[in-house]
Amino acid sequence: MNLYFSTIALAMPSWMESIKQDFYISFISNDRYIVFAKGLLMTLRLTFFAAIFGIIFGVLFALMKLSRTKKGKRTVFSVFASIYIDVIRGTPAVLQLLILYFAVLPATASKELAAVIAFSINSSAYVAEIVRAGIQAVDHGQTEAGRSLGLSQRQTMTYIVIPQAMKNILPALVNEFIVLLKETAVAGYIGVMDLTKVSDFVVSRTFIAFMPLIGTAVIYFTIVKILSFFLGKLERRLRQSDSR
Amino acid sequence: MIRVENLTKNFGSLEVLKGINYEIKKGEKIVVVGPSGSGKSTFLRCLNLLEKPTSGKVWFEDQLITDPKVNIDKIRTQVGMVFQQFNLFNNLKVLDNITLAPVKLKLQTKEEAQENAMRLLERVGLSDKAYAYPSQLSGGQKQRIAIVRSLAMNPKVMLFDEPTSALDPEMVGEVLYVMRELAESGMTMFVVTHEMGFAREVATRVVFMDEGQIVEEKTPDEFFTNPESPRLRDFLARVL
Repeated sequence: MNLYFSTIALAMPSWMESIKQDFYISFISNDRYIVFAKGLLMTLRLTFFAAIFGIIFGVLFALMKLSRTKKGKRTVFSVFASIYIDVIRGTPAVLQLLILYFAVLPATASKELAAVIAFSINSSAYVAEIVRAGIQAVDHGQTEAGRSLGLSQRQTMTYIVIPQAMKNILPALVNEFIVLLKETAVAGYIGVMDLTKVSDFVVSRTFIAFMPLIGTAVIYFTIVKILSFFLGKLERRLRQSDSR
Repeated sequence: MIRVENLTKNFGSLEVLKGINYEIKKGEKIVVVGPSGSGKSTFLRCLNLLEKPTSGKVWFEDQLITDPKVNIDKIRTQVGMVFQQFNLFNNLKVLDNITLAPVKLKLQTKEEAQENAMRLLERVGLSDKAYAYPSQLSGGQKQRIAIVRSLAMNPKVMLFDEPTSALDPEMVGEVLYVMRELAESGMTMFVVTHEMGFAREVATRVVFMDEGQIVEEKTPDEFFTNPESPRLRDFLARVL
């Protein structure tokens, strides 16, 4: 009995010791923390630019999809936007990235640029659906009231519908960017050194899998948590203005 | 002022209006009544082309507004409309609800529009609500402000699409009061409603619609005391 306990007591430090050592090898030695920091920066940069272009083109595609002729029929733009959104949402993001980098862009194109374009295209389709739903959720009576006063379709959208739609859209949009952040992890497929690729690289160099992978997961999780925190704050503020 | 000729409207295979001919003259107060589904709201909505007629012609003053070349936005600035659901702009304060259209359409300067809005709000007894949001108002207050919003454009005619139907009973009176005052001031009005008392007291002519057609049209006295068609008699027996 005594012997049993003393064995555990002796085993504990060595167990902790090995974790400490793994951590040191994975993150500290050979300045690996700098590699991780660079990977994180790349991930954030991809997410940031893809989010910006995703919003710009997403709004554009949403407006295109909603556009109607004077007779109330769908325009050519509307049909085009629908097909675009359908195709992008119906195929894997990784595949879109591979097609863009290996089959569409010239061989000289930078990997990072290819990744930004691919994620922008992918995100714009999802953002377009969020924006479209947000605009359509605004009561049609608001549009009718605007038009009945002599405001044009465009003025009614600008001053009445879109400001109200923003309220419906914002939370879903932030959520989309959380998804986008995690989706950039596939950038490694074309050799971009983002956070996930860095962890993969460290695994292959150190032959330690657990520590770098779990560490990377913790980094993603922390960023997502920070974003979610601000999302929660935003939602509470939007709800407040409902009962003002 | 407004004239319609052979107006028809179909929703899919459903014929809602089956050839309406009518003329509204300046200063008249037309009240349209009829069972639900009779096409009265659709008729009203065709007058400012919020609903596009399937066929037929609509004139405003001397302009054929069903002509696709006509700038309908310009016509609509002269035709006020009040909705059953009020449709105040939820994102704007009361004052901005009223001044948005006249200012953005460059009909009035911001100062003029605000002055005008305050004067109109005073008239309906709501000047203390100028800086409130629609969500802070009761239904009756919302509808009075919706009326003010239309009046701020200085329209030549006002269309009312069941303005009291979405209100709690105790708020109907305040809205009808404003409409009565408006009628007395000489405004040309076209009102779809279920308020028979209003029809009797304010209308110059009362129109009965059923199944997409105008069945009968009379002065209010004649309308209520001497209905001719069996359908109108039947209707009056049920609502009075």
